[in-house]
Order: sequence, then C-alpha cells, then structure tokens
Amino acid sequence: MSNLLEIKNLKKYFSTPRGELHAVDNVNLNIEKGKTIGVVGESGCGKSTLGKTLMRLHTPTSGEVLYNGEDIAGMPMKEFKQKYRTNIQMIFQDPYASLDPRMNVLQLIEEPIKVNHKDMSKADVTARAKEMMELVGLAKRLEGSYPHELDGGRRQRIGIARALSLNPDFIVCDEPVSALDVSIQAQILNLLQDLQEERGLTYMFITHDMSVVKHISDDIAVMYLGQLIEKCPANEIFKNTIHPYSQALLSAIPIPNVHVKKERMILKGELTSPIDPKPCCRFAARCPYASEGCMEKEPELREVKPNHFVACHYAEKFMK
Amino acid sequence: MSENMLNVENLVIHYETDEEVVEAVNNISFRLKKGEVLGLVGETGAGKTTTALGIMGLLPPKVGHVIQGKIELDGENLFDKSEREMRNIRGKKISMIFQDPMTALNPVKTVGEQIAEVVLLHSRCSKVEALKRAQDMLAMVGIVPERYKDYPHQFSGGMKQRIVIAIALACEPELLIADEPTTALDVTIQAQILDMMRSLQKKQGTSMILITHDLGVVAEMCDHCAVMYAGELVEYGTVEEIFDNPKHPYTKALYQSIPSLDKDVDRLHVVPGMVTDPSNLPEYCSFADRCEAKCDLCEKADPKMIRLNEEHCVKCLQYTKEWEGKINE
Amino acid sequence: MSKMRTPAMEKIEKKNAKRKKPVKSTPMRESWKRFKRNPTALIGLGVVCILILVAIFAPLIAPYDYKVQDYSAMMQAPSSAHLFGTDQFGRDIFSRVIYGTRYSLIIALFCTIAALFSGGLLGIIAGYFGGTVDTIIMRVMDIFQSIPMIMMAMCIVAVLGNGIPQLVAAIMFASMPTMARNNRAAILRVRGSDYIESSEAIGVSQIQMILKHMIPNAAGIMIIYFVGFLAVSIMMMSSMSYIGVGLTAPTPEWGLILNDGKAYLTSAPYMMLFPALMIMITCFAFNLMGDGLRDAFDPKMK
Repeated sequence: MSNLLEIKNLKKYFSTPRGELHAVDNVNLNIEKGKTIGVVGESGCGKSTLGKTLMRLHTPTSGEVLYNGEDIAGMPMKEFKQKYRTNIQMIFQDPYASLDPRMNVLQLIEEPIKVNHKDMSKADVTARAKEMMELVGLAKRLEGSYPHELDGGRRQRIGIARALSLNPDFIVCDEPVSALDVSIQAQILNLLQDLQEERGLTYMFITHDMSVVKHISDDIAVMYLGQLIEKCPANEIFKNTIHPYSQALLSAIPIPNVHVKKERMILKGELTSPIDPKPCCRFAARCPYASEGCMEKEPELREVKPNHFVACHYAEKFMK
Repeated sequence: MSENMLNVENLVIHYETDEEVVEAVNNISFRLKKGEVLGLVGETGAGKTTTALGIMGLLPPKVGHVIQGKIELDGENLFDKSEREMRNIRGKKISMIFQDPMTALNPVKTVGEQIAEVVLLHSRCSKVEALKRAQDMLAMVGIVPERYKDYPHQFSGGMKQRIVIAIALACEPELLIADEPTTALDVTIQAQILDMMRSLQKKQGTSMILITHDLGVVAEMCDHCAVMYAGELVEYGTVEEIFDNPKHPYTKALYQSIPSLDKDVDRLHVVPGMVTDPSNLPEYCSFADRCEAKCDLCEKADPKMIRLNEEHCVKCLQYTKEWEGKINE
Repeated sequence: MSKMRTPAMEKIEKKNAKRKKPVKSTPMRESWKRFKRNPTALIGLGVVCILILVAIFAPLIAPYDYKVQDYSAMMQAPSSAHLFGTDQFGRDIFSRVIYGTRYSLIIALFCTIAALFSGGLLGIIAGYFGGTVDTIIMRVMDIFQSIPMIMMAMCIVAVLGNGIPQLVAAIMFASMPTMARNNRAAILRVRGSDYIESSEAIGVSQIQMILKHMIPNAAGIMIIYFVGFLAVSIMMMSSMSYIGVGLTAPTPEWGLILNDGKAYLTSAPYMMLFPALMIMITCFAFNLMGDGLRDAFDPKMK
C-alpha cells in the first residue's frame, strides 16, 4: 500500500493574548492513495486547522507533511504553489459564504483554471469549466446565475467543481455537508463517492457527524483538543471503540429508531481550553475512568491491536 | 375539560413582500395534549419555524400574515387576543427557545437578572424572591447557582443554551416551543441538554413542541411526530408509527437518505431534485415533482390528510380509493 | 401557481404581467432595487441631481454675472429683481450662490477622489496585509488624526498658499486618516470571508485577490463612505473659506459668500441665510443618499 500523504509530528500553534493555543498538537497520520480518511471531533478540536494546515492555508509551527515523499509543510510558499497547489484542493464547509457573491457560476468555476493555467486560451478555460459543471451535475442554464439565487446543494456543487477543475489527487473536505438538508446531503455524499471512484481521489473528510463519517470513510481518526486519540478502520471504531472519549461521542448520537434505548454515557463538563495545556491526558478532566496516572503523563498514540491506534494509558482495559 | 391544550386548525401563513408571496404554512392542523412532546420535523423552508412563530404571535410584522385558521390554547383562540394579552401569554403560558443561544441573551445583563426579569414580568413577587427563583432555575438546569452574577460571555455555548432554557421555564409555562435547541451544539453537549430537557419536561409536566431536522432527536424525545414538507403536514402520528411504519414517500425517503450507524450501505438513497420553492407551489401535491411513487393522478389533485388508524395520518393519494383504481387499470 | 390564492398574489402577478421580460438578478441590481424602494434616499439622490444640473447650467440659470458689481443696487433685500438680495458691492447673491454650486461640487469631488486614492489606498493596503504594515500605516494615520482636521488643513494652506489645488491638497491630507480607517475596516470585513480563503486555496495571487475579490466586494461600503465624504469636504471647504483660508474673493464659493455677509449679520441677515441654506441642503442630500446606499448595499448592517 502506498501512502499519498504522511503527516509527521505536525504542530500548529496560534499565539493568543492568553497563551499558546495548541490547535494541532503532534499529529501523526498516514493517508493511503485512493482512500478516505475521516477526521471527527467536536468544535475546537483542531480538525479544521489540520485540514487547512495541509492546504498550506496555515503555515505549520513544526512537523512534516510528506506528499509522495516530499515535505510540503516546510517548503517555501512559492515552490508549494507552483508544484502542489493543483494537487491538493479543498471543499469548504459553508457553501453560502465560500463563494464570491459577485461572480456567477461560470466565472466561479473558471477562476481556478484561469489562475493556474495562465497559458490556456479563454475558450479552452470556458470549455473546461462547462465540462466541470456537467461533471458535478449543474445544469447548463445555471451558468449565468449568482450564488444568492441557488440553494445550498447547488452551491456546494460549485465548490466541488472549483476544487476538481484543477485535477487534484487529494481533497480536504471540511464539513462539506453539515450546512445542507438531509436529502441534499445524500446527493452530495453520493457525488463525492462517484467522483472518488471515477478519478481515484484521496479524501480527508472532516466532520462532526459520526454517521456521515462512517458512511464515507475507510479509516477514522478521532481528535480531541488538537490531538489524535484514536485511529482505526471505519467499521472497527463502531464495533470496538476503545478510547473513552470515542465511546462517549458514539453514545451521544441520537439514533433514529424508537426501539433502541441506548445506555448513554453523558460526559460532564465541556471541552477544556486548548491554551497552554498541561502535560497530562487532555481528556482526563472529563473522563469517567480517569485515575491519577492520567494526570501525570501524556498518553502516546500506540497500536493496541493491528491497525488500531489509541492514545490512552489504559487502552487494554477497554478492549473487548 | 378537554385534554387538548393546544389546537391548531387549518392554519395558513403567508409571507408577503412586494415581489413574491411565500406560502410558508399551508393548511395544517394538529393537536397537542397536556404533558406531551410533539416533534416537528422537516428540511429548511418546510415551515416549522413559521408555525412556531405563528403560535407565539411573533410573525414578522407587515410581512407575515395569517390567512386563515385558528390556534386555540386551553380553548381560547390566540388570534382573538390583543397584543397586550399576547404579551402576557408569552413567557407565562408559552415559551420559546431559539436555535442560537448566543443571540438570545442580553450581553450587558447578568444571567440572574435576565431570569429574574421574566419572573418579575409575569408574577407578583419582590425582586429578592425573583432572584431566588433565578438561582433555583440555574440549579435546575445544572449550573452552580452562585454563578447568577456572571455575564453571558463568561459561559460556554452549552451553558448559554442551559440559561436560555432556564429563562424559558422560569414561569413554568404550559407549552414550551424549542426551535432546534441543540443544532448549534456539539453532540456530547447535545446529549447533556436533551437529557436535561427530558427530565425537566417530565418533572414539570410541560407540553412541548420540538422543532428539529434530526430524526434521531425526535426518536429520543418525542411522543408524537409531525413531518412537514413545503409548509404542509405530510405525515402525523406517534413516533412508533412514524418510525416503524412510515407511509408518506417523503418520510420514507428521509429515512433512507440518512447514513446509518449500524448498517453498511454502499450508496445512499437520494431524493431527486431540490426542496420545493414555497413561493411557487404547485396546485397538486407539493412533493409530486420529487416523488418516486407518483402516478399521473398526483399531478392533478392535492391530497387530503387521511387517517390510517387512531395514531397515524398521512397526506398522500396512495392511500385513497382513487389510487387503487389507477393501479388496477 | 399556488395552494391558496390571496389578493397579494394577484397584485404581484398583475405587476409581473406588465413587465416584458424577467430581469436577471445580479448583486448590483438587487442593491439598486433596494435603493429604489427607499423614499428618503431617492429624495437625496433627486436633490443631488438637481444640484449637478444647477452647476452645469449655472450661466443659464443665473440672472446676473456673479462678479459684476452694481453700485446702484447695494445691500438690497430679496426682491423679484434679486431673489436672494444683493451684497455690499451690489452683486446678485442668487447668481453667486448658483455659481458657487460649481465650485463646491467640483472641489468636493476632487478632494474626495484625492482622499480615496491616498488614504483609501493606504487603508486597503493596511487591511489586506495586516501585521507590521498595518501597524505602521495606522499609527502614522493616528498621528495625523490627533491634529484637528481644520487646523491641519489651515497649516497646509499656510505652507502652500491659497488656491484651489492647495485647498484640495489640504482637505485631502486632513481627511486621509478617516478615509484610511474606513477603507481598512471595509477590507477587513471582506478579508474575514470564507470566499477569500477559498480563493487562496485555488492559488489566486495577492494582487488578483485585492483587485478581483476584495475591492469589488468592499466597493459597496466604500461608495457609502465616498458619498459621505463629499458632504464632509463641502463642509470643510466652506469652513475654511469662511475663516479666510484656501479660496480668495471674488470666487463665489459658499463659505466666501458667508464670510462677506458676516459683517452685516444684524442689518442684512439674508446675506448669510441663503449660502448657509445651500450648504445645509447639499450636505443633507449627500447624507440622505449615503444612508440610502448603506441600506442598499449592506442590508444587514443598519
């Protein structure tokens, strides 16, 4: 198996008046070519920052991101833009805010092609944009429409067309369906799956919705306060959840079935601050099983069984 | 005394502007018994929030118009009330929780003051008593009562929503309308809030209308469920009926388009097309254009609500006699 | 089509039937639609249009030459021959005020354009790049701003001398900080938008980002400030002429006419009344229009 992307000890800190905010802290992750890795966590856990750091929308504080073996995190911006901008693309969360309201559909889709292929003739650019519109299922008559005239699903299709027009290998999908209605959400998820099959795309799918992530991902990584706390194949996490936080996260999802009355694990308190965290298990404050050991040392992500990584001192205790 | 505390009949609400008329709520009727929780489910633009605002008497002035219908609370038609009487009813008899807890609180007043304010407005008591009540309410929603002196910005999102709930419940209303109370929150926090709302509702015997797009939340919280599409109630019944035995093609499609946690599906079922535009509704069944079970009959007639059994109503031609004739042809 | 017909629907249908073709909705057209619905804004626009016409056709409207002195008709109160009366040299105040419109509008326009290109540009740069660039530019602007606007303008005229270009330069320098601040705020608002990030993600260069995304989207707010600044410039210009810096007699600038009349305030109040009214009406019209533009371009911000 070949890894398209290898993230090594990636850190992104933001300095705030109150101290260093550890948005992404020491993340290690390998992403296989043609697969989808789901990144889940609650708001403020650093999942979006992780995606944007891979995109180089943020400059990482330290660490490496190897793309086909070459470090793209440390390379100068100019070189990155020339070599990799078209390879790595992103689909944004809010299709209402992520499109320039003063451009129409065709202009929006032409923009990335124009910017990155300066030698292309105007007619070629337009032809390619039209091709993209067809690919993502936007009707021809919408060419001259402005985003404010379209519904969320169509706007998100524009976002997808913009990303795809550059023929990327890797796409960071940052909550691409959370602003959409369920029936539209299904359309977009299917579209993303079809495109992946057709073009062999690799996705990083960032979301807070466990059922969506389970549906679309091959592997799942759970983040808590900037750190990866559990990583395993998608099915495994629902069958053998190990980390107490992942357990809580799963048990919190309301299931649309009246007969399943779940034993719910209600966590006390809320996300603690990621500013200057103490060197201990970051989940310990809310963990129902926390003991003194958790407060002394930071747990490392370790392989507790084949392909299942957990960052918990007592992982073995929770294994079935 | 009738058991129905809320009775909505043939309610039609339009939004009228210079350019268009949006048919937000189209002829809906439902009843709510005392102590019961009704889930109002639907997608954006289905008219859920408009229905709630109609009950509260808070439709945007000049634009929102009640075209017909009545809303009875304890047998009294709310549309006959003056604005002054409505103000008395709001907060005391009906309370509403809005989606975004951040904008529902006044940033320059302490949370204690904000709860006490509602108490003072609707009951005769001294300021000290009101503040005492505020502290009790905070304790009830799981916030240390000593924090009544804190300002909203000192609380996190989940805590703010708890405070909003405390304000809504301070006068022990008979009816609580919660409009997507947990949509802006994280799942683990949502679980806390839902847990708390359920126990408070049981304890106080409040009736509740829970507006949400999340079928999971409905399954957990509600006794009855009403599915809305394009301003109409398309299916209504007990949650057991709706979840185990959905009848309307839209309800069925909704279930199939949610990715499931316990089953592996390769591709999701998709409702074709877009959500129907409420400013341009067809004269026939609103869902017909997206429906997979339709026949030509559906593009001719607008179905009526049909009672399938005691606990289950559906608005679809499939369950009428005409349909059978059509199929046999 | 509809579920339930209402009178309101019929009204709209009738209106739409009159229209030949449905108009394509663009963001600009939407703004114009909102502007059209705002009566006070339309009044503002109307007055501004009248003022522009007056300025263009001043020679046709004005009954007398603005600088001809008629010693047989000095200090006359308003009458049918001299609508606004005459001044101490027998010049027709009505004609002077009419010609004054030319000076006021044109100079104000130049001042505002100059301020936009200096202060506005600095603001855009500061807003876009942020960090140290922002700090340096904005601190310099702070120093500028700590000197009262009028005082600043007077100093500049004192150095450069009297005359229209000098006056424009003076007002430009004086209003630069405010212009910079406003435009910076406009850019910052756009800068935080998701679509800027999404453009960054597809590799749009910085120059293109400013020209293609930020300025067009901030333009609405910038136009609002621009119109507002026209009013400010007219006020500043008049104030300066009134205290005798900038323009010199016999230019029929409103502030100068005011200055002429101040000695006779008690005996001939009309000499000050009419130019003062003109200043007031003009500034009021610009402000009404500016408020209307704000509602039109920025319906959320009120």
